Amino acid sequence: MEIAEELKIFDKDLINNFIRYSNNDIDYWDIRAGLNIGTLIEFTNQKSKEVSSYENIECSIRTFINGGWGFYVLKDLNRKALLDGYLKAIKLAKMSESLTKNKFRIIERDPLIKHFKAGSKKKLENIDIEEKINLVKFHEKIASDYSDKVKNTRTVYVDGLSNLLFINSSGSYITQKLDLLRLFSVVYAQEEGIIQKGSNSVGGIGGYEIVETEKAQNLSLKSASEAVDLLKAKSPIGGKFDVIMDPKLTGTFVHEAFGHACEADLVLSKESILEGKIGEKVAKDQITIVDNPTFGQGKKYNLPYELYGSYFIDDEGIPSKKTIIIEKGIFKNYLHNLETASRMEVDPNGHGRAQSSTSKPQVRMGFTYLEPQDWDLEEIIKDTRKGILCEDFQYGYTDPTTGNFQFKCKISYKIENGEKKQMMRDVSLSGLTLEVLNRITAIGNSNSFSYSDGLCGKGGQSLRVCDGGPYIRIADVNVGGLN
Amino acid sequence: MSNEFDVYKLAEFGLKLAEAYNNNLKDAEIYFEFSKYINIEIEENSVKNSELGNEGGASIRLIDSKGSLGFASTNRLEKKNIERMVSIGTKMMKSGTEDPDFKSLPHFFANYAKVRNLYDKNIDNLTIEDSIAYVEDLITICNEDELAISQSGGFLSSSSKNYIFNTNDLNVNSKETICSISSNVILKDKISKDTTFGFDYQSERTLKKINAENVINKALNDGKRNLNRKKIKNIKCPLILTPNGTISLILKPIAQAINAETFQYNRSFLASQDKRGKVIANQNLTIQDNGLIDGAVGSAIFDGEGVPCKNKTIIDKGKFLKKGLLHNSYTAGKEGVESTGNASRFSYNSVPSIGITNFILKSGNVLYDELISDIKEGILLNYTGDRPNLSTGDFSGLILQGNLIINGEIKDPLDETLIGITY
Repeated sequence: MEIAEELKIFDKDLINNFIRYSNNDIDYWDIRAGLNIGTLIEFTNQKSKEVSSYENIECSIRTFINGGWGFYVLKDLNRKALLDGYLKAIKLAKMSESLTKNKFRIIERDPLIKHFKAGSKKKLENIDIEEKINLVKFHEKIASDYSDKVKNTRTVYVDGLSNLLFINSSGSYITQKLDLLRLFSVVYAQEEGIIQKGSNSVGGIGGYEIVETEKAQNLSLKSASEAVDLLKAKSPIGGKFDVIMDPKLTGTFVHEAFGHACEADLVLSKESILEGKIGEKVAKDQITIVDNPTFGQGKKYNLPYELYGSYFIDDEGIPSKKTIIIEKGIFKNYLHNLETASRMEVDPNGHGRAQSSTSKPQVRMGFTYLEPQDWDLEEIIKDTRKGILCEDFQYGYTDPTTGNFQFKCKISYKIENGEKKQMMRDVSLSGLTLEVLNRITAIGNSNSFSYSDGLCGKGGQSLRVCDGGPYIRIADVNVGGLN
Repeated sequence: MSNEFDVYKLAEFGLKLAEAYNNNLKDAEIYFEFSKYINIEIEENSVKNSELGNEGGASIRLIDSKGSLGFASTNRLEKKNIERMVSIGTKMMKSGTEDPDFKSLPHFFANYAKVRNLYDKNIDNLTIEDSIAYVEDLITICNEDELAISQSGGFLSSSSKNYIFNTNDLNVNSKETICSISSNVILKDKISKDTTFGFDYQSERTLKKINAENVINKALNDGKRNLNRKKIKNIKCPLILTPNGTISLILKPIAQAINAETFQYNRSFLASQDKRGKVIANQNLTIQDNGLIDGAVGSAIFDGEGVPCKNKTIIDKGKFLKKGLLHNSYTAGKEGVESTGNASRFSYNSVPSIGITNFILKSGNVLYDELISDIKEGILLNYTGDRPNLSTGDFSGLILQGNLIINGEIKDPLDETLIGITY
């Protein structure tokens, strides 16, 4: 089994000590440790702004007694510090247990002993800093040369190599080696006092091959053309419209307005509109929504790497799997971590994820999407009388207690009598999640299916995720305007 | 926490090594940060998790004679790790591009303004057992409330120490503490079954200022004002912003626009047709960035590069001042002015950027009640997740929490209401 030298401290002897120290006082414990190294390169206006490198070692010890959790974070990985930390973590769990009113047991699971490794065709450790810098320069030049209206360009390259370890009280011993890469391009264009921004990113799990795909190579060109095109776009007029969402926006809707409400921790804390909805019809028959963070999906999109939101196991040692959330309109499953699955008495489905080895696992999504159906995009447009076609988003948010969401779209086009007309900017869409699910009037076919990747924030932790779907049309959406 | 002697020795070792590695080195800077924290979390109005932690590490920033910047960080503080950090940082510096705008890192300062109450030994010495009392207050008051059905939130305290050393003889360190309490309550009307949330938090440098009772009561009131929302017809009316509303609609966008980096890169609405020295708002608007307020959470003696913090007026009675930008040493050097002491670091492992200290819109002389009682028909806006387009002055967004004002009184909360402001 391949394991980083620094993580070899977690040997049989140390683990036996943890077991002995627990003295059967605690119901469950797990320990995560990680050794991470990485690079960040940021250029703006074709000049380097930051060229940096990091290395860190992280560790946390989590303990559990009858509803109370203890968590201890340390950075000095030596035997004494680990055993001291372990005893402190037990004390912390005892304290939580004495105060909590939510008593429950953690589901027992079979131990998993395994090493996972993400394949990378062009290993990051073999790519010199100069090559990475040349890549960033290439993108900066394309964006800067695009138009004299381009006033500022920014390109950020980030990569990271992690060696991770997970052990727990059931005897699991899991190690992982993961390489990640993300490239990000932002372009600002300006004309007559108006500033517009175009931004795009590409990310994945794998090596340097990620930046050599066609999508990655066209990244800064896309940002530049978006920013310049948006200068001429019109402001929207408010009202009710049939809205056609592109795959990125469909993904945002599925993730932001709907997906978070499926997270079982929010259901338990009464912050979800889906409380008590299992088995109920919540959408039209054509709607199937899943979360599938498993490996092996990159090749579906002809990509030589794995999707950014994928993982082998979650941060509680549970293998990722495809979870059906809505099947043909019927609400089937919440997303769970170990705690919520234990409390709701179901099997955990691998959604206990943490930002790093020093943060606590929360219930989080992986790759959430709406399954395609049978409409061609052309057909959807032709079939729309008074509508707006919306592409990509600037930001979006949802009131969890009501499901009232608001998305600000990046680029939009008026649709009149089946024809795509002028471009608009800053179109905002709002509605109630559960109502909107029942007003979807067309779902695109698999040809139009796509996804986007990014970072999702919750409770102060930021995680890599993907979301997607086909083009969809929703009837009577509130569009915010300035009239 | 590593002992102080090690830090000084490691810094000296690192800076000497940096000079030895490269003849073209202009300036180098080593930064250390150590912190310990206590965190107690409430979920479903019950204690869920008790947490203790230690964090921190070191970083080096190197600039060569042509202005190319290299940066490297580690959280492993043995001599060999520092050596590797310096060597990698040097490699990074050699790989960057020339930047004649990078003038220098800050030089030694003889004087720093006194800022009191940034450190409280009661927080530094606090035990997790003693911290429990604060969350117990939150839980008890929430339990006693008739409409509250759940609460998440908690107590967080941390104590940190940082050190900055550079080759221009700058050598400073400081100790700071911070402590905060937060409450997010979920309320449900017993008859209508309408559900909503209320939120409040308090963040302080000293423990004795923390008042859990106030925080939960404010969160409860916030939520109650928002229960049983009503949809309204299209109206055109005056808008009153609560302090929360003012932060999201006015202060945050302006803070972004006066960041010298955003400004110099032409990403700011105030940069297009350079608005410095021009009147950009009416005379009621005065905004300051004051890093010197005793005991304030945004205050500090020096910024992320060791430059003394200051009090600066940004907008004076509607006029955006010529000196109204927030600088770090890079953006200041580029413009030939002095740094305003606004270099900020998210963590030991991030390159200093620019941030606000205490960013304040000055109060006027109208009482809150008078503001409301003057309104025949209007809207009180508390929360929105949207932000205005400041290059046009337009705003369109969703009211997450807001109320109708009728004949000088706050009335029904608003349901699914969109708002647009245009000029």
